[in-house]
Amino acid sequence: MQINFGGREIALKLVYYGPALSGKTTNLRSLHHLTTEGSRGRLMTLETKDDRTLFFDMLPLTLRAETERGAPPGMTLRIKIFTVPGQVLHASTRRLVLQGADGVVFVADSQISETEHNAASFLDLRQNLKELGLSVKQLPIVIQFNKRDLDKVRSDEEIDVLARRGREPVFKASAVAGPGVLETFFGLLYLTWTKLDRDHQLAKMLGIGSSELLPMAARQLGVAAAVPTLLASCVGGNLDRHLQVLA
Amino acid sequence: MGGGAGPLPVAVEDLVLDARIRIEDLVARDGLEELCLSFQALFGIPVRIYSTEGALLADAAGEHELCAYVNTTTGGRKACEATVSSVKARDPGEAGDVTHPCFTGAAYRVLGLEYDGRRIGRLVMGPFLPANVTDPPASLLGVDPGVAKDRAQALLAKMPRAKAETVTRMATHLKAALDLILFAGHKAHVTSTMHLASVRESYRQLEDKTAKLQEAFDRLKELDRLKSAFLATVSHELRTPLTSIIGYSEMLVEGLAGEMKAEQAEFVKTIHEKGQQLLSLISGLLDLGKLESGTMRMVMGTVRIDEVLDEVASTLRPTARKKDVRIEVEAPADLPDLYGDAERLRQVFLNLVENGIKFTPPGGSVTLRARSGQGHDGGSQDEEGLALLAPARTNLEVRVSDTGIGIPARERAKVFDAFYQVDSSSTREYGGTGLGLSIVKRLVVAHSGTVRIEDNRPRGTVFVVSLPQQGPAAVAEEPRLS
Repeated sequence: MQINFGGREIALKLVYYGPALSGKTTNLRSLHHLTTEGSRGRLMTLETKDDRTLFFDMLPLTLRAETERGAPPGMTLRIKIFTVPGQVLHASTRRLVLQGADGVVFVADSQISETEHNAASFLDLRQNLKELGLSVKQLPIVIQFNKRDLDKVRSDEEIDVLARRGREPVFKASAVAGPGVLETFFGLLYLTWTKLDRDHQLAKMLGIGSSELLPMAARQLGVAAAVPTLLASCVGGNLDRHLQVLA
Repeated sequence: MGGGAGPLPVAVEDLVLDARIRIEDLVARDGLEELCLSFQALFGIPVRIYSTEGALLADAAGEHELCAYVNTTTGGRKACEATVSSVKARDPGEAGDVTHPCFTGAAYRVLGLEYDGRRIGRLVMGPFLPANVTDPPASLLGVDPGVAKDRAQALLAKMPRAKAETVTRMATHLKAALDLILFAGHKAHVTSTMHLASVRESYRQLEDKTAKLQEAFDRLKELDRLKSAFLATVSHELRTPLTSIIGYSEMLVEGLAGEMKAEQAEFVKTIHEKGQQLLSLISGLLDLGKLESGTMRMVMGTVRIDEVLDEVASTLRPTARKKDVRIEVEAPADLPDLYGDAERLRQVFLNLVENGIKFTPPGGSVTLRARSGQGHDGGSQDEEGLALLAPARTNLEVRVSDTGIGIPARERAKVFDAFYQVDSSSTREYGGTGLGLSIVKRLVVAHSGTVRIEDNRPRGTVFVVSLPQQGPAAVAEEPRLS
């Protein structure tokens, strides 16, 4: 998080992490597609010629604290969403992108054949966070099981059981078609916002109530669904329970 | 990547998270001006782009005829300057769009340029004539007595005319084009910065690894040195008490302490023999240790190879005779002298002949053949430039051939390794320490020579020792160790 009082801005950084080809860029594309212009900027993708992410993708969102008519303009909350390159060889870039992250969505591939890649990538995330002086215990993290639309994926029941046992909230998604994308994003935004608000009184700085950010974000991004509905699709994991265990 | 690495050398978040984006950093000014000029050519309305700090970045606005005319009068010039400076300073406000009137009846539109939700500059369009202005207003005619109404009317008519919504559409179009250009510039900027950062991060990682490898390498080198030193010390310390064991058992055998029964004498003889064996093993280890640590002292001088070979043959003949193996020496007396350490060369051929005897069955023979010649055979096969270098060398070649069991081709490189024997069972069958050949190799190399193995037809092995024949100048004074 960066605060620029002069520019009346607060900047958050959210990162989509995960193994190669798990659908991180697709999540951002869908998010871009599912939100309205005005609050979201252009999606910047840095890809190689075979559509693999080279450095990162970046989607900027700009939320303005809504103030009474005639009152001076409020603070601006700038949220930059990044993806990391999943391919193993881009390790140094992953670490660079992860720098200063306020929250992480871990995009896992639901296909059973990808189980090991998911695990290896999570260990990679843990190691990189450690080298950046962070830990998976301190950072808001949600897990997304993507590609629910494919065959040979881990079953819903299995994911539910796993989610209940684990500490991170879990969302199911099919980023190509859209379901689960907004849910995952709002899940992470909720965790990140709540933690930062608790640690830095972010709501006070923005001049809004703690519970106002998510509805405000939904409104400005043109998301029709109610925020509680979006968050309720979180399986097994309990977002509030997760917040309690966050250091 | 090892844990606990140092801090990252690059802070990319400044670039991607809260960078202050400036138009002039992302777009070439010439290009920006070209864009504005083409816009003016298309719509006829002058365009200027200012940075947030108020610097003029692009100017596609020549002076209009009316403006030039007004500027010829004192009052007109003053009013014009005042208008221009207030337009320059005009803040387009939160909405980012204001119209600024000119005393001539024309107008300017001042628009905010936004990128990524931030104001990054201003776009000034004008002067243009709003659609509802037809006659020169009083503010123009009254600005200076020198302003003539007819002339002003005529020039005003030449001013580009545009409705407010038309100007809005033009501005929207220009802003969209500009936004795309800025995005492309921003993307290129981010990409190159990110690329540099990645390269630097990878480099830092590599440096880290290299340092660790160097550390490990230094440690291994030190261990190796310690091993050699340990070997040398232990060998020396073992030899001292062994000398007493051998000496006293010899005295017992010779009856210096009185007669012994036959069985006792037999036992003591075994002690003596095994002691000798142990001594030669320890001597071998000691030599190897010295050769490896580079502390072997060589006493260099002129050596007659035929004498060396004769001595070796006569030393080993008793052993050979016991096994019914013949030793033959073919060394012409006119062979040139060598420059080397006679004692060490003797050791080389003693080891080779001993080795030959050991592996040759009864009735066989071991032959020592020396000859001098141009070094067509010298040098190892993969030596660089062999075809050029070998003919220039004169070598003394000694071939030690036996009629023994032979050494398979694939084993030939390995037999010179310490403690190596082609078949580990041969240690038991033929005895020996496995050190002899590795010592031979090192001693020959220390003489700048080579040793290789060939087949002896129909059976057996030939060890070919090739030693350079040049005088003292050409041979290294100090032993050269590979």
